[in-house]
Amino acid sequence: MSLEVAIEKNVGGFRLAVEFTADAAPLGLLGPSGSGKTMTLRAIAGLETPDRGRIALNGKVLFDSDRKINLSARERRIGLLFQNYALFPHLTAAENIAFGLRHLSDAERKRRVADQIAAAHLTGLAERYPATLSGGEQQRVALARALAIEPAALLLDEPFSALDTHLRSALERQLRETLATYRGSTLFVSHNLEEAYRVCEKIVVLANGKVAAQGPKEEVFRHPPTMEVARVTGCKNYSRARRLPDGFIEAMDWGCKLSVAQEFVKIPGHVAIRAHHIRVRSPLNSAQENSRKNIFPCWLAAMTETPFRVTLDLRIGAAPANSSDFHVQVEVFKQEWESFRDLPQPWAMELAADRLFLLPD
Amino acid sequence: MNWQAVFLSLKLAICVAGILLAVGMPIAYWITYSRWRLKFLVEAIVALPIVLPPTVLGYYILVGLGPRHFAGKLWQLLFGHTLPFTFGGLLIASVIYSLPFAVQPFSAGFESVDRRLIEASWTLGASRLSTFFRVILPLSVAGAVTGVVLSFAHTIGEFGVVLMVGGNIPGVTRTVSIDIYDQVQAANYDAANRTAVILLLFSFFVLALIYGTNRRAFSLWRGLK
Repeated sequence: MSLEVAIEKNVGGFRLAVEFTADAAPLGLLGPSGSGKTMTLRAIAGLETPDRGRIALNGKVLFDSDRKINLSARERRIGLLFQNYALFPHLTAAENIAFGLRHLSDAERKRRVADQIAAAHLTGLAERYPATLSGGEQQRVALARALAIEPAALLLDEPFSALDTHLRSALERQLRETLATYRGSTLFVSHNLEEAYRVCEKIVVLANGKVAAQGPKEEVFRHPPTMEVARVTGCKNYSRARRLPDGFIEAMDWGCKLSVAQEFVKIPGHVAIRAHHIRVRSPLNSAQENSRKNIFPCWLAAMTETPFRVTLDLRIGAAPANSSDFHVQVEVFKQEWESFRDLPQPWAMELAADRLFLLPD
Repeated sequence: MNWQAVFLSLKLAICVAGILLAVGMPIAYWITYSRWRLKFLVEAIVALPIVLPPTVLGYYILVGLGPRHFAGKLWQLLFGHTLPFTFGGLLIASVIYSLPFAVQPFSAGFESVDRRLIEASWTLGASRLSTFFRVILPLSVAGAVTGVVLSFAHTIGEFGVVLMVGGNIPGVTRTVSIDIYDQVQAANYDAANRTAVILLLFSFFVLALIYGTNRRAFSLWRGLK
């Protein structure tokens, strides 16, 4: 089970040049809007033609510019779940699911439709029209319709972006269940990194039409190779950096000296750390401070709350001049916040050495 | 009451509507989905009959279908008589005259179908023809009906083209509009009035029936979009 993609396409001023391979484990295609994710998906499905390149599914060549092979969308047997589902409004849910099954006998078609309806928990909704179904139900019908043709690959274009937040986790769980039994290659396009992380095993990060990182999800998130990838994977805190002769890194925007855990091969242009990896605690006495590294005094510039978390804008080294004068954003759970909010400032901020990203220019 | 003229008009209108349904759909399909750079030229040609004075159109058809030009000569060779002043000639002229009134509503109907539905159909394995009949057509029924009704109504009302090409031959090319004109010329206002009223009522009845039954179709699918 493999999907090999290596394509280039120029549209207007935008250059897409991507290369990656997906196997049976779901592959996430992550990137900001306009990074080329949907164009890549459409090229794989046969709805767009790349200028150059090769696409092969399980060894069968779908597109090869050198050999002038370009199978039409209908010959590729690829299931595509559109962002807005693209359900046929004039057909019932069951008829939608049966749409690609014309070539089967009546009995076989009925059986497959019934299986899909049961698997998608749509029993009782088979005769309803899409307009009378909820967003979550529509999504399940669209997925069932794509799976009914038993495609060799499944492409999901931001399947949850049109849904209410509270529906997403239930549908995500269902999608993971469905994908566990699906035997083809799966490509999951999203700009929501948490979703992609939960559903997929491997991740490809796209930025400006190019692959910026690819690999197992833990690897990509823990060791983003560039600033772009760090940003796409949700890292919020960056500082220009330079190497100091004594082996430390100076974070120029934060005004502090950091010791780092990993050997750096490339001269780091930036140092970065995730918002929830920064520890803030009560000010330590000097004895404790001397024994630990990367601890700095910090002051609170501003604070915003979400239902269960708190985001703190903190300034390192001196009290902030106003509420926008901050260096880093820190995310903590509310309980933790309670433990130091009333303590006198400056607090102690720890930028753990093994949590720092060293990003090349 | 000149029933012969009424039946002739109806026969002409029904034939034209039927022919334009068959001929107009492929043209409209091509206009909607083709990406040829020079497509606009074809669109302009199709739209010509809207702006050309009917007498100009009638003149060109008369001459073009006549025995001095290729099409007319070919017809004469095949069928032994010329096209002008026959029902056949009238039919061809009427089809050309009402072409944009069919093609444009058909095309607008196709245009209104979400492209992603068409793409979804392809990814599910349907051919372009299959996609047309199973997805595009059912969702553009309103446009199809409008095109057919307009061609029908437009043909019933034809006068200038019929006059130029038809020659006013009773039972063959004397349609109702010509007949009313004749009656007025001969100052038979009563006869003209009777014919005109019948025609008016009939046309209105047909249109109301079609829009009435189409109302459900309009709202059902518009609500679903």
